[in-house]
Amino acid sequence: MAADLQGDGLTRAEGSGRPPHPVDRGAVPRGGDGPVHVHRAYPHDSAHLHVQGAASYLDDLLEPEGTLHLAVGMSPAARGRIAAMDLAPVRAAPGVVRVVTAGDIPGRNDISPALGDETLLADTHVAFHGQAMFLVAATTRDAARRAARLGRIEIEAQEPSVTVEDAERRDERVLPDYAFGRGDVATALKAAPRMLEGRLRIGGQEHFYLEGQAALAIPGEDGAILVHSSTQHPTEVQHVVARILNVPDALVTCEVRRMGGAFGGKESQATQWAALAALAARVTGRPCKLRLDRDDDFALTGKRHDFRVDYRLGFDADGRVSAYDVDFLACCGHSADLSQGVVDRTMFHADNAYFLPAARVASRRLKTNTVSNTAFRGFGGPQGMLAIEKAMDDVARLTGRDPLDVRLANLYAPGRDETPFGMKVEETDTLRAIMEGLERSSGYRERRAQVDAFNAGGGWLRRGLALTPVKFGISFTLTHLNQAGALVHVYTDGSVQLNHGGTEMGQGLYRKVAQVVAEEFGIGLERVRITATTTDKVPNTSPTAASAGSDLNGMAAKVAASTIRARMAGIAAALWGVDEEAVRFRDGMVAAGAESMTFADLARACHQQRVHLSATGFYRTPNITWDRASATGRPFFYFAYGAACAEVLVDTLTGENRVTRVDILHDVGASLNPAIDIGQIEGGFVQGMGWLTTEELVYAPDGRLLTHAPATYKIPVSSDVPADFRVELFPNSARQDTIYRSKAVGEPPVMLANSVFCAIADALASLDPGRPVPLDAPATPEAILNAALALGGGR
Amino acid sequence: MYAFEFHRPTSLRQAASLLGKAEDGRLLAGGQSLLPMMKLRLASPGTVIDLGAVPGMTGIERKGRSLVIGAMTRHAEVETSPVVKEAIPALAHLVSVLGDPAVRNRGTIGGSLANNDPSADYPAACLALGATIVTNQRRIAADDFFQGVFTTALEEGEIIVKVVFPIPSRAGYEKFRHPASRFALAGVFVARRGGEIRVAVTGAGDSGVFRWHEAEEALKGRFAPKSLDGLTPSTEGMNSDIHADAAYRAHLVGVMARRAVERALRR
Repeated sequence: MAADLQGDGLTRAEGSGRPPHPVDRGAVPRGGDGPVHVHRAYPHDSAHLHVQGAASYLDDLLEPEGTLHLAVGMSPAARGRIAAMDLAPVRAAPGVVRVVTAGDIPGRNDISPALGDETLLADTHVAFHGQAMFLVAATTRDAARRAARLGRIEIEAQEPSVTVEDAERRDERVLPDYAFGRGDVATALKAAPRMLEGRLRIGGQEHFYLEGQAALAIPGEDGAILVHSSTQHPTEVQHVVARILNVPDALVTCEVRRMGGAFGGKESQATQWAALAALAARVTGRPCKLRLDRDDDFALTGKRHDFRVDYRLGFDADGRVSAYDVDFLACCGHSADLSQGVVDRTMFHADNAYFLPAARVASRRLKTNTVSNTAFRGFGGPQGMLAIEKAMDDVARLTGRDPLDVRLANLYAPGRDETPFGMKVEETDTLRAIMEGLERSSGYRERRAQVDAFNAGGGWLRRGLALTPVKFGISFTLTHLNQAGALVHVYTDGSVQLNHGGTEMGQGLYRKVAQVVAEEFGIGLERVRITATTTDKVPNTSPTAASAGSDLNGMAAKVAASTIRARMAGIAAALWGVDEEAVRFRDGMVAAGAESMTFADLARACHQQRVHLSATGFYRTPNITWDRASATGRPFFYFAYGAACAEVLVDTLTGENRVTRVDILHDVGASLNPAIDIGQIEGGFVQGMGWLTTEELVYAPDGRLLTHAPATYKIPVSSDVPADFRVELFPNSARQDTIYRSKAVGEPPVMLANSVFCAIADALASLDPGRPVPLDAPATPEAILNAALALGGGR
Repeated sequence: MYAFEFHRPTSLRQAASLLGKAEDGRLLAGGQSLLPMMKLRLASPGTVIDLGAVPGMTGIERKGRSLVIGAMTRHAEVETSPVVKEAIPALAHLVSVLGDPAVRNRGTIGGSLANNDPSADYPAACLALGATIVTNQRRIAADDFFQGVFTTALEEGEIIVKVVFPIPSRAGYEKFRHPASRFALAGVFVARRGGEIRVAVTGAGDSGVFRWHEAEEALKGRFAPKSLDGLTPSTEGMNSDIHADAAYRAHLVGVMARRAVERALRR
């Protein structure tokens, strides 16, 4: 096999990052014996394929002969009993091979991750507009989609619940209420010198992954089935397919090489399409493929939860907070899905980076007749943080202090370092250093004076400036998910195959884990072949989520590689008569003292000596102990930190706005790969900015989603990226024993975009200093104008 | 797409005759609205008659105190025409912010006017400038031409040949685009010619382009943004949809009108 397993691109790694980013910025200095492959800016493992259009996504896989194409028959009503379903016209449509309904399911009609409250195909009732009711298998995708519209469906429709208030009125929830806190909040609020009450509405967000949901199921012998799924959670696909088909898990294999974006939208919600493909494959005996059309994807898959947040805050004249009482009312959609974990994380981040001496953090998980809201990068955290950032701004307005000073006054600090859920914040120094470092590097104080002077001019254009922190807990709060497995093979030519339970969705996980393995063996990255995630290589995996992909899978792969390396070192040591500890692996060579040989020669020697050159690795995160029932323990291994300073220009007569400059200082520990990490920070920030400014989901009163395509739903594009965008990694090293002392990076940067929301509010505040700004999220031009009007501006 | 009859006549007379004969015929000019509508089945004409080969329907010409633009003249030609820039710079500006490069390079003035999309830009210019729409049968004043959303005074078999714009002394156009669709949530064209002042609004009204007479009156006193201070059209008659509610649209009309006057005075 060729030496260059990964194709072109690696040797040019140092030069191929984007010019403004020094490649090793934020990395640990490299010494003679220091690490070679980690802490280094390599491009994404598939970058050369991405730019050539040669990276295969699910829809690019060659279809086996006889593949049928599927389309979903969707509910015409948002809530009600199914009175009649006449599918004869669907069956009679050209190209249709089979129509599949709930009655065709051999196993349980249940695709829920845990609670059994969500059907694969609706059987008696529908609970949201567009819900899957039947499935059409046809010879072409076009024929299937045309036929799927021909179902004659009668629903005894009821008024749907669409808003928080609808669900409150009906008192319908998908899960019980949950709260935790500390101290006597009511008394603390009464005792506080000042008190404010606020309400913030926060909109949802569509994932808008570029590759839509897709699955291809290929039936095998004796009931076995292979499912290619664009999923972040192959194991859940495996389990649900087995449940639907009523076969043992061992008969189902789920594989995914890469996704074209996922962002949480394919954590639990890729499962249904895979299960439908598998069901159709079982029923027809032929390979079946389902790829959702974009409009249908919008209608059929869950989004970031929309919230109403009601809060009360006690504080003093300096803006120091003594009590926070907050209710998070989440629209969960029609089923629980992941809403327990999502809203719990909202609660875990209700404090963001601020010490709250007394706190009551409460939540309700409301049932609405909308698609079931789900994981989305940040997993509830962003909503929790935005609320307290809004509250900090309110305090600043009411006390007349600079919002940054209010934030600094409330920041976690030694002695004021326990979260409302009882976990100690161990890195208060990092948090403060980031805030103060960014304050300096962004020139906050000088620019504050400039912005205030500009606004004092009184024109209709106003500038706004805000510097906000992020403290994000790393670990699945469902403790058992914090585990990972890996499988590593060394071949006798010294090339290596790597597999692990993490999935690649564009975030660069495969590359980072490969760097770890190359480091362990002291070989070139091009010698490490990365292989597709599949349940038949590494079983019982957790979803690639919670920002934990590199932390978990990197560790598992390191364990596997070091197991093999130890065996190889043993052979070399015996050959040369030295201690095993003296054997070094570096630069493709194995050496001890004056002795050396190539890694490939040693691999061959090991094989001759009958040494096993394959190993699995397993890792479980230590030191996490959360008990939800008693709300005690430690849910997170550590926190990742960051801060952003955003400046905006707002047209207070129309609400139009532009982000003119953004400075970010972000903590990824000792970065495994600064190029990938900076990419994650930039992308996360821009995605968060879209959520808070332009992305607006609009539902009709009958529960139909009206914004289901880019013409009506506006995601940020390259021209929306701030022209002056400065991202720096904070020089740090994780305190916990993480993979090469790096920290997770996937989700935290989303919340850096809170600075944009707060900067827009800051611009508006200049219209009437001293009053909280009545701005909800997303801050669309219309919302901004309404806030301006409320503050006496806008005219 | 689906099957339909396609004709490419080489004279206006032939085009009119084909249009008269076709049971369900539509004229194809630049195709920037018709083709997407056909793809989405919002329109499904049995016959499409392409005006692309009809001679004499393109071109920009100054004739005395008027600017004459052929119906098949593409937006990009208007945008870059020195004649237009000299005679009515506001029109060149309007076209520069119309649609996207594809629309500007394929779309035509005649097509835009015949379609009369409630968010289209050209209808505002025609109405505010008091243009005359010349067809193969007659001359129609802009005030009579626009009759509601996607509705015009054009009769069966009638084809727009050219548009005659009287040259104003001052004119300006401003619009507020929807962030996603880039269509105007509110676009206002103001024009002054002698003592006459006309203000036309697109994108905001629930029955398409309209003249905002109150603003015209206010500007008669003094043609200045200040004259419009505090003036906002009634929310009655304003469109309200997922993109913006009536109050926001009405507000934007007021702001855009002031800015359009400012722009008109800048020259």
